[in-house]
Amino acid sequence: MDEIMYLAPEIVLVATGLVVLLAGVFLSPQSKNVLGYLATLGILASGILTVNSFELLTMGSFQVGYAIFSETLSIDALSQFFKLVFLAVALIVSIASIKYTENSDHTEEFYTLVLFATFGMMIVASANDLILLFCAFELASLATFALAGFEKQNARSLEGAMKYFIIGSVSAALMLFGLSFVYGATGTTSISLIAKNPGLLIGNPIGLVAIVLLTAGFGFKMALVPFHMWAPDTYQGSPSVVSALLAAGSKKMGFVAAFRVFIIALAALQPDWQFMFALLAVVTMTFGNVVAVAQTSVKRMLAYSSLAQAGYIAMAFAVMTPVALGGGIMYTLAHAFMKAGAFIAAAAVVWMVASEKKGNLDIPDHLDSFRGLGKRMPLAALCMTVFVFALAGIPPTAGFMAKFVLFSSTIQAGMTWLAVIAILNSALSLFYYARLVKYMYFLPPEGEKVSVPFPYAAALLVAVAGVLAMGLWPEPFVELAMKAAMVLV
Amino acid sequence: MLPVASLLILVPLIFAVVTFFTKTKELAAGLGFLGSLATLGLTLYAYLNFDSSTAAMQFYESVSWIPFLGVNYSVGIDGISMPLILLNAIVIPFLILFTWKEDMEAPNRFYGLILTMQAAVIGVFVALDFVVFYIFWELTLVPLFFIVNIWGGEKRAHASYKFFIYTHVASLVMLLGIFGLFYTALQQTGVATFDIRELVAQFQFFESGLVRDGIFLAILFGFLAKLPTFPFHSWLPDAYTEAPTAGSVLFILLKIGGYGLFRISLPMLPNTGNPDMMIMMLGLLGSFSILYGALVALRQRDLKRMIAYSSLSHMGYVTLGSAGLVALSVSGAMFQQFSHGLIMSIMFMSAGAIQTSTGTRIINELGGLAKKMPMLTVAMMVGFMASLGLPGLTGFIAEFLVLTFSFVNLPGFVLLALLAIVITAGYHLWAMQRAMFGVYNEKLGDVRDINSLQVFSMAVIALLVLYFGLNPSPVLNMMIENSEAIVSLVAAVGV
Repeated sequence: MDEIMYLAPEIVLVATGLVVLLAGVFLSPQSKNVLGYLATLGILASGILTVNSFELLTMGSFQVGYAIFSETLSIDALSQFFKLVFLAVALIVSIASIKYTENSDHTEEFYTLVLFATFGMMIVASANDLILLFCAFELASLATFALAGFEKQNARSLEGAMKYFIIGSVSAALMLFGLSFVYGATGTTSISLIAKNPGLLIGNPIGLVAIVLLTAGFGFKMALVPFHMWAPDTYQGSPSVVSALLAAGSKKMGFVAAFRVFIIALAALQPDWQFMFALLAVVTMTFGNVVAVAQTSVKRMLAYSSLAQAGYIAMAFAVMTPVALGGGIMYTLAHAFMKAGAFIAAAAVVWMVASEKKGNLDIPDHLDSFRGLGKRMPLAALCMTVFVFALAGIPPTAGFMAKFVLFSSTIQAGMTWLAVIAILNSALSLFYYARLVKYMYFLPPEGEKVSVPFPYAAALLVAVAGVLAMGLWPEPFVELAMKAAMVLV
Repeated sequence: MLPVASLLILVPLIFAVVTFFTKTKELAAGLGFLGSLATLGLTLYAYLNFDSSTAAMQFYESVSWIPFLGVNYSVGIDGISMPLILLNAIVIPFLILFTWKEDMEAPNRFYGLILTMQAAVIGVFVALDFVVFYIFWELTLVPLFFIVNIWGGEKRAHASYKFFIYTHVASLVMLLGIFGLFYTALQQTGVATFDIRELVAQFQFFESGLVRDGIFLAILFGFLAKLPTFPFHSWLPDAYTEAPTAGSVLFILLKIGGYGLFRISLPMLPNTGNPDMMIMMLGLLGSFSILYGALVALRQRDLKRMIAYSSLSHMGYVTLGSAGLVALSVSGAMFQQFSHGLIMSIMFMSAGAIQTSTGTRIINELGGLAKKMPMLTVAMMVGFMASLGLPGLTGFIAEFLVLTFSFVNLPGFVLLALLAIVITAGYHLWAMQRAMFGVYNEKLGDVRDINSLQVFSMAVIALLVLYFGLNPSPVLNMMIENSEAIVSLVAAVGV
């Protein structure tokens, strides 16, 4: 029974999901708004339990953690850190969704899907078994497929969801294929057992095939070039709150899964995949930044910038020192706050454009919609400015601190060329981030002043608090990230 | 003892935040003024308690911030930083007075950003940890980006972008150098620290010449681009010209490039792989900037643009004096930073006032303004005379020290700079003569003189230029000990 205790955060989450789903049946359409608050409370409770579990972990052996349920789940610093990342995103998304689902007929489904998707991501973070990992991965993916297509009347949303679904299914098949090769070579699906028998993989051509297939599978979720094709369309087409969940949350699931599978299970093949990730990182960050410059849809620009950011995080695989891994892990949390916040700010603008029913409704998040936002929605504009400067790595924000740790560790590892490319990319990204700031503050507004709806405002403030806390008081975050990295090395 | 160094950052920052939330122009300007006065008060407190007889760090505070990486929030003030803090604290209240009666949009943001800028610049001057230093260094970009882009001239978008991205890239190169410094030191000593003085001291133990030069040049590049020095100056004319008056003055107060030179690059220089070559390079860049800036200023039609190039020319003395590597030439370079800040403030204020009154800055379209704007003409005269190096004003002291004492080590470059002095006098007088004297250009219509607040602000700064020109010791004394400390480091290695 003790083992159950460690899953308390997940249990609370699933229970909340079920309660929300059931309550939706009995509530009148007018009072369904309460479901959003309920979901938010559930996520908060789950978050508190997760933070609490850190104390449980520190009492025991922190690095090793606990393997529970016949060692299929591993509760360690890495899993708990990523659970916090997912819960932070889920919290921001669910708060903002209170506004988004205001007039929806499917409020209960929406929140249940968000909660279940988060649950799936949390299990992926803990998975110590390839089959469990795959199942949890698919649980989260299926829920997000549905969320991406939530606006059934919107052709753009459907197109994005369709692309996401098809490419997602193919990549899931490739991933499963890859996992089966690993099983074939080692005879076990337990990640820790695979790690204990490196001899079975070294020099085994099956291992190389598995690496290629798994890279394609996880690369899809991480949105690494060239597995990124779906991302811009899906992020742009999805409801903005869902884009926030995808870019800030489910992308990180790809990373934690890759951490578990590549760095722990396939550690023996490190020389084979290390350089590949360096290459993927360079291609991804450069492609993302270059294409982002040309975008006029803000959500699309954020999507490409999200690619670039994934490229930075992928550097952790290439460098592979404890500090670099810690930096990469810290970056995932920083990115969660920055990107979720930026998409929520875009959501507020889309809402504003929609409620005015004028302008180019086909692309409500066009840069033009951001004209004079500093005057029209001062709060949203200010928060957006904080997010984009954070994404560009301007101090004192989470983005700067995370880049600081990650890039500096790259130099420490002697890969100065990679750090130089990353830094040049970072400079390039400033160009399109600054352009958005220009639209918000330097161009005259076209319309009246609008106050940001309370849920959006609350979600934005949570994200800003996260971004600034990590920038001004980074020590606890660095420490947690480093402890999480110790699980990997 | 007050924690002055931290308060000097915090006070303007808190006032800035409050100012952002004000509704009326009067309240915004008033709060901005109050905040800058409070900062000035703190600075005077620090100045009165400052011990000029030592090169040691004073008002030192240190708190562990990110222990894992050896990052501390440590700040302090010494003879290198004190004059620059003083410069900022003195000019900004008068800058706010100068703009008090101007019509502008969003005054709350305007004054809030000025105070944010002040906090960031002072933050750079007091930071003793590379991470703290870099954070404030980058933070200075943000207010200026907004100030130029919202309240600037016609081509403000282009200018602000160019400035932001150009100097951001330079800063990132500098960051690479800082990382290199940190990790090489970590390798050698096993101690993770970002302490500026500690790392600069560690630099002499680095083994590979190539790594040394790479680190040194990367950091130096960040400083030279900010200073700026030819050929990294191309952001300057646009940014200075397109910025509103207050923005141009803030650019002038942004003396962080030269400060970095004294605080970080010069103490590292003797330990680079080839110090002689580095000195030659600095000397060449410095004297060439002086000459080039003066020549280009000579043919400018736009008054503000001329002042911008004149600024480039005068900042060359900072580089040249640094390369001189004699205690008095380094002091001269430091004094040039202080003096240049005061003088250029007057010059940019004059150019701004002329534009507001007449609607143009093109020198040929002006003429005979002295009759209509006598108060401005007097203030402007002081600025121009100080800028061309008239004895008795601060500009002379700085240039005299730099040229005389750099001659010891770099005679050739000094001769090059001497050539520029004639040109400098030329463009200043020529511009003055065409814009202010002679026949009044009737096309300008009825122009009004500057208002009383503007007269007051410019008069105070002009008097300071005169006072420190006649009696430079209060400022120079603070610098001497630190200059000698830098030079003795060089002598110890025997360059």
